Amino acid sequence: MVKFLFPTLMLHIHADLTNYRLMTLITQSSGHRLMIAMINVHLTLKMAQWLDEQHLNPYMAQTPYLPHFVLLTCWLLPLMIISSQHHMATEPINRQRTYIMLLTSLQFFLILAFSATELIMFYLMFEATLLPTLMIITRWGNQAERLNAGMYFLFYTLASSLPLLVALLLLQNTTGTLSLLTLQYSNPLNLSTYADKLWWAGCLIAFLVKMPLYGAHLWLPKAHVEAPVAGSMILAAVLLKLGGYGMMRMILLVLEPLSKELSYPFIVFALWGVVMTGLICLRQTDLKSLIAYSSVSHMGLVVGGILVQTPWGFAGALILMIAHGLTSSALFCLANTNYERIHSRNILLARGLQMVLPLMTTWWFIASLANLALPPLPNLMGELMILTSLINWSPWTLALTGAGVLITASYSLYMFLMTQRGPLPTHLIALDPSHSREHLLMALHLLPLLLLIFKPHLIWGWVS
Amino acid sequence: MLTRLPRLGLSLPRLLRNHPVRFVSQSKPSGAAGVAAVTELHPPAEKSDHGEVSPYVKNPDYHGFSDDPVVDEWNMRVGFFFGISVALVIGGAFIHYLPDHGMREWARREAERVIVQREQEGVPLLSEYYYDPNKIVVPGSGEE
Repeated sequence: MVKFLFPTLMLHIHADLTNYRLMTLITQSSGHRLMIAMINVHLTLKMAQWLDEQHLNPYMAQTPYLPHFVLLTCWLLPLMIISSQHHMATEPINRQRTYIMLLTSLQFFLILAFSATELIMFYLMFEATLLPTLMIITRWGNQAERLNAGMYFLFYTLASSLPLLVALLLLQNTTGTLSLLTLQYSNPLNLSTYADKLWWAGCLIAFLVKMPLYGAHLWLPKAHVEAPVAGSMILAAVLLKLGGYGMMRMILLVLEPLSKELSYPFIVFALWGVVMTGLICLRQTDLKSLIAYSSVSHMGLVVGGILVQTPWGFAGALILMIAHGLTSSALFCLANTNYERIHSRNILLARGLQMVLPLMTTWWFIASLANLALPPLPNLMGELMILTSLINWSPWTLALTGAGVLITASYSLYMFLMTQRGPLPTHLIALDPSHSREHLLMALHLLPLLLLIFKPHLIWGWVS
Repeated sequence: MLTRLPRLGLSLPRLLRNHPVRFVSQSKPSGAAGVAAVTELHPPAEKSDHGEVSPYVKNPDYHGFSDDPVVDEWNMRVGFFFGISVALVIGGAFIHYLPDHGMREWARREAERVIVQREQEGVPLLSEYYYDPNKIVVPGSGEE
């Protein structure tokens, strides 16, 4: 674990030092290439490490499904930096440093949150990720509405995670420990009263809002739309998964006897959300908002998969979370390349781009197909596993999930056709051709997704 | 940069001449009212107001990293080397040649071997006893 944390800490110092030594030499205005190198090197180290699920100390450990999330986090940080290069190019050097340090501190907290085995430590890191994200949204967003979005983001997640703190303290009071390593050997709690049911809800609501569950999702489209591209990427790719990860941890170890009955309304809500947010996507004019709602829709499936609590459900949730992390982040990058050229997020203003940016259309095509879960891609595998476990739970869920899958395909194709096909509007004359930087960015998002087809059991976790 | 837009070949000379009017109707004017509306909607933009100069003017090999051509190229090289060559290619090969994690592949091969062996011997694939009953020492009923 130190292997990941130490380089991350080093990145902080690095961001400082490059200013004086290397920045003038190698990377003048937006130089952070070396950090990417460092991250990538320690990425390969991490792959070696996920062979043996090791426990380093009582507070941090690698669990069988943890490395995927840490890997996703570490993979995304350099991508975020590459993607925001255009955004940050005009800023003075000090602000660039602050920005990079913000991103690295976010990564630091995320790694700690994913590797914590002590629930209070998990809670603290879960909350700590709020601050850098909030700063990214409210400081580096583009419109004045970002303050409103930041407010929504802060209060939705903060208000929902307060019950989690109370619930955790209560658990500590009852069992005497909050270590997940100890809790898994303790007797099942005797949960029968109404207060226990409230406690159950308190344990999960923080994660359900973070996921987000339909009904508590309003902060997400706002935050996504107003955040700069790096904020949208990390939000869609990792922060939502933090909720899923927390749910998996809590529901497996702590909440066991009650979850069977109490999860019923939440599953229904999640599946209803899949359909509803899909329908909302169909009438979006704002590209980033469309992608944000599509995230809500996919996360609804993940919530369903986790709450039915079967090995297939968990495996499907894990696969879908990883695949969706890469896909949605790629889509946000694509939306940003449009935004940098057209200076609007509106779909209607950026149509027919295949004419001018043909190679970018290829990336749009792959990303849209990944979003609608084309057969060999991990997205489909995750959805299939979740759908199967949901049908096993109740056949009636097929109506909702089936409709959801259809609608997902519709809005993904709608997004692709609207932005890429058709004649070029007359106001789009002098567009920049797509840069190598953007192609690198998209390749680094989508090639791992395609490579996962060939080695699926890296992310299949429970069943393989 | 504009030579990379093949579909705009027809409009290219017009663009290079740097007309102050950016929106020119290609179709023949059908009536005076329509033309007036278009010019009112899109007043000719001042060139200095635009504020964005294409980086390709200064550096035709622009990669999108930096305005300085040297920094730009080195950024591109380092990015592609570490992103594609190291992480994806070497990392992919590394993962491909990792040893069998948790002996899953071995277990599958072994299971297939045992199935073939048992089918040849004509015994059921799975015994109905989880433990070998001969090895279980049961306390006698009468002896106390």
